[in-house]
Amino acid sequence: MKLQESEILRYLGYRGKQPDAALHKMILSCAEEVERVATPRSVYRLFPVTFGENCVQLGNITVEGHDLRQHIRGCKEAVLFAATIGIQADILLERYSHMDMSRAAVLQAAAAAMMESYCDEEEKKIREQVADRGLFLRPRYSPGYGDFPIQLQKDILNALDCPKRIGLSMTESYMLVPTKSVTAVIGLTSDPTGCHIAKCMGCSNKNCPFRKEGNE
Amino acid sequence: MNLFETLGKRLVFFDGGMGTLLQEKGLAAGELPELWNLEHPEIIEDIHRAYLDAGADIIKTNTFGANRAKLRGCGHSVSEIVTAAVRLAKKAAAEKDALVAMDIGPTGKLLRPMGDLDFEDAVFLFGEAAKAGEQAGADLILVETMSDTYECKAAVLAAKENTNLPVFATLIVDERGKLLTGGDIPAAVAMLEGLGVDALGLNCGLGPDQLLEFLPQLQECCSVPIIINPNAGLPHDVNGKNVFDVGPEEFAADSKKMAEGGAWLLGGCCGTTPAHIRAMVNLCAGITPKPIEKKNFTVISSSQKAVYFGGKPVLIGERINPTGKSRLKQALRDNDMDYLLREAVTQQQNGAHVLDVNVGLPEIDEVSVLRKAVQEIQAIVSLPLQIDTSNPAAMEASMRIYNGKPLVNSVNGKAESMKAVFPLVKKYGGAVICLTLDENGIPDTAQGRFAIAKKIMKTAEAYGIDKKDLIVDTLVMTISAGQQNAAVTLEALRMVRERLGLCTSLGVSNVSFGLPHREHLNAAFFTMALQNGLNAAIINPNSTAMLNAYYAFCALNGTDAQCMDYIGHFSQQEAAAKPDSGTQVSLPEAIYRGLKDSAKTAASALLAEKEPLDIINTEMIPALDRVGVDFEKGTLFLPQLLMSAEAAKAAFEVLRAKMREKGETAKKGKIILATVKGDIHDIGKNIVKVLLENYSFDVIDLGRDVPPETIVETARAQNVKLVGLSALMTTTVVNMEETIRQLHAALPDCKVMVGGAVLTPEYAKKIHADFYSKDAMGSVRFAQKVFEQQP
Repeated sequence: MKLQESEILRYLGYRGKQPDAALHKMILSCAEEVERVATPRSVYRLFPVTFGENCVQLGNITVEGHDLRQHIRGCKEAVLFAATIGIQADILLERYSHMDMSRAAVLQAAAAAMMESYCDEEEKKIREQVADRGLFLRPRYSPGYGDFPIQLQKDILNALDCPKRIGLSMTESYMLVPTKSVTAVIGLTSDPTGCHIAKCMGCSNKNCPFRKEGNE
Repeated sequence: MNLFETLGKRLVFFDGGMGTLLQEKGLAAGELPELWNLEHPEIIEDIHRAYLDAGADIIKTNTFGANRAKLRGCGHSVSEIVTAAVRLAKKAAAEKDALVAMDIGPTGKLLRPMGDLDFEDAVFLFGEAAKAGEQAGADLILVETMSDTYECKAAVLAAKENTNLPVFATLIVDERGKLLTGGDIPAAVAMLEGLGVDALGLNCGLGPDQLLEFLPQLQECCSVPIIINPNAGLPHDVNGKNVFDVGPEEFAADSKKMAEGGAWLLGGCCGTTPAHIRAMVNLCAGITPKPIEKKNFTVISSSQKAVYFGGKPVLIGERINPTGKSRLKQALRDNDMDYLLREAVTQQQNGAHVLDVNVGLPEIDEVSVLRKAVQEIQAIVSLPLQIDTSNPAAMEASMRIYNGKPLVNSVNGKAESMKAVFPLVKKYGGAVICLTLDENGIPDTAQGRFAIAKKIMKTAEAYGIDKKDLIVDTLVMTISAGQQNAAVTLEALRMVRERLGLCTSLGVSNVSFGLPHREHLNAAFFTMALQNGLNAAIINPNSTAMLNAYYAFCALNGTDAQCMDYIGHFSQQEAAAKPDSGTQVSLPEAIYRGLKDSAKTAASALLAEKEPLDIINTEMIPALDRVGVDFEKGTLFLPQLLMSAEAAKAAFEVLRAKMREKGETAKKGKIILATVKGDIHDIGKNIVKVLLENYSFDVIDLGRDVPPETIVETARAQNVKLVGLSALMTTTVVNMEETIRQLHAALPDCKVMVGGAVLTPEYAKKIHADFYSKDAMGSVRFAQKVFEQQP
């Protein structure tokens, strides 16, 4: 998988600015190093969706609250999705945290960019798979977004058997390890117009540095 | 059935998958299968019976996840569930004279430092399950589906420490034959055989055809029976159900190839059914197992890879040893692990194959410091380590938490030494450096040293330690103290190689103590020793002369195919020799532009005319301020800010060396940094640390996942006036709040600044932080303010 320099710059906070030659060179070499050590893996399964009073049910997982419910409104099924680029990326970050902090910061951005683009790639596969049934995907929605409780991380990891299947687990604080990992719910809908909620616009974190404005 | 009498005479068959069958009977995704031992015992017993009827010799108990980490909150104890599970299996197995394997799967958690499960906690929870299994009557322990060597070590160690049962271990690998944590098969096998497992192999993850591909690799390194329990192919999702594609006939056909290829124990994992096992038994029962070839090579391992002795000579990096190194001594006294870690990474980059780790200083607690050093180095370096200590307690503590099969330095011919070291080597599985000295000192003759090597070998044998795990050091003494010293060492070395067949190692650079231009003697002696059969050398991998000698020797003696390593070594040297682009740059400019080498050069040059403190105050701090201001304005970005910080750090190293000579210090105020309990992500905290250090603050880095009590105690003990806390998750901000509460209660005049992804100024105020820092520069500004106000 090839990383985009523009995406890495976005994670570094360069909003539209051009990097100087030294940074440009470092980004290329960090991207190359992350690509070399990453072992992206993902797993997903379809679950039926039922809506209750102020909650939504995914298979036998109950999610209390408004935001996820709103996000997958109208869906009869949803995909539980989990992905990680593997523990080697964490080891690399750790190593450079002691050796060269500037490189660690760029590696961290490169790893985050890789995680995101890997998720997009995997999502594309799911999109193609459900297209046969006339279904479309809602954007990924993860525990911790809005009022979707972070505690649901545990149920998603269990339901997908993540530790064994892709080496993804979590800490007592519901932090995913390896750190460059994602879990998400993807609603499946027969309504193609339902898919145009922009990734970031549905999120309540208005101060997020990575917030993309408009419909991307 | 008697396990050890049967093994090798005929194939031994495991049963197949349990989880898949339970799902068919209605187990929901995410539900705990182990509870069915209590809730649906008849179903579990039926499944066992079906596998026994299909011909299984060993059935696995339904206890894959029966540990504290997974069962928490289910309302039943580990022992209750394990006891029920073993009894169900025993009852079914008794009818067929079959065996019951107490099944132990992974915790589903990642161990420290990458995750938050402590190694000893893992040993405890596996031990609890293993003990319950033995008490309920299991015949053996099967540690299975392990994707991390470290967790696997915890489980095997726990089984060995808590039971007297045979222990088997099987790993899960990906299509490249690697564990999920990146380790390869030879590394894992070295560790497991070192720990004394009775059989090992692979299970789960892949189908039989894919696991079959890894059988040759296993056979090349295994000396114990091989187990293979594949899935019925790769699972895929069909409308919300996991489906496996490999049918019984195909499964049996591949199993047959495994049996013919040398596996002694076969069975199935996810997706396999009694039909798969029946087909396999019918097809394979007549096959006579291939004899196992016992491997005689000397091997050690890290979590990532194995290093073999006896082929190409092994380079052991000597830089992490305080003897004669004042900067390292200082780092150890200051608890500055970063310095050790940088030494470790640099040696790896320069071509070391193994790293020696020695922290022996009279004034430090060697047991805890060595353990910590090993723990931190193994987390970021992929090389095996040589645990170097004369303190048996420090040796044991470090071998225990070592992730792999360690090399231990050292044992010698004294009865007391052998009595202390050999039991550790036997229990934790290592290779050990054997020094040819004893109660009478170091013999002057080669014969004398050879005799001690022989004595050590005989004694090791009595402890059940194979001679392949002994690496003899015939001791290098300086030729300035005796002209024959080098010759005696080499003769003894040759005798040990030729007559005992043991591997050898030498601390090469000792040869030149007390003489000028030591590198020439060292390199020449190194080459002579290699020619005399030296297998490993403790050297400085940062020394060009030593590496040149090494690569030249390998090219000449035919172990470097087409001289590729030799060519690569020198082309790398030429690339590295290119000078830094702007050597003429002033110190402030070098810092502003983030040019590390130029900053170092400029700082050295300035020392000729100015005092270090003067340079810091008039050249460096203004440059750093300029960088900081531009960062705050948004014209400079984080990577540039950090590049400047790294450049300043390089200049500081130069100045501090000078200041230490004079006994000066530039340190301003003490600041504790930590990520709060539960938070294991610390890149933000590390960025803050680099910047604060640049401004000469004395940072006490407590690391990550730090309990409130530790922070309070440290602040009190060291009289710290400012604490910086980082939290990344909503779930850990509560621990931040608690830490602040305890700090304010215990130390009213200690300020707390906070930062992290989920925090806002409002939230920081709500949890009573004294300052919210929106970025790394913010914390520098606040620290300046706090310490200006202090007298």
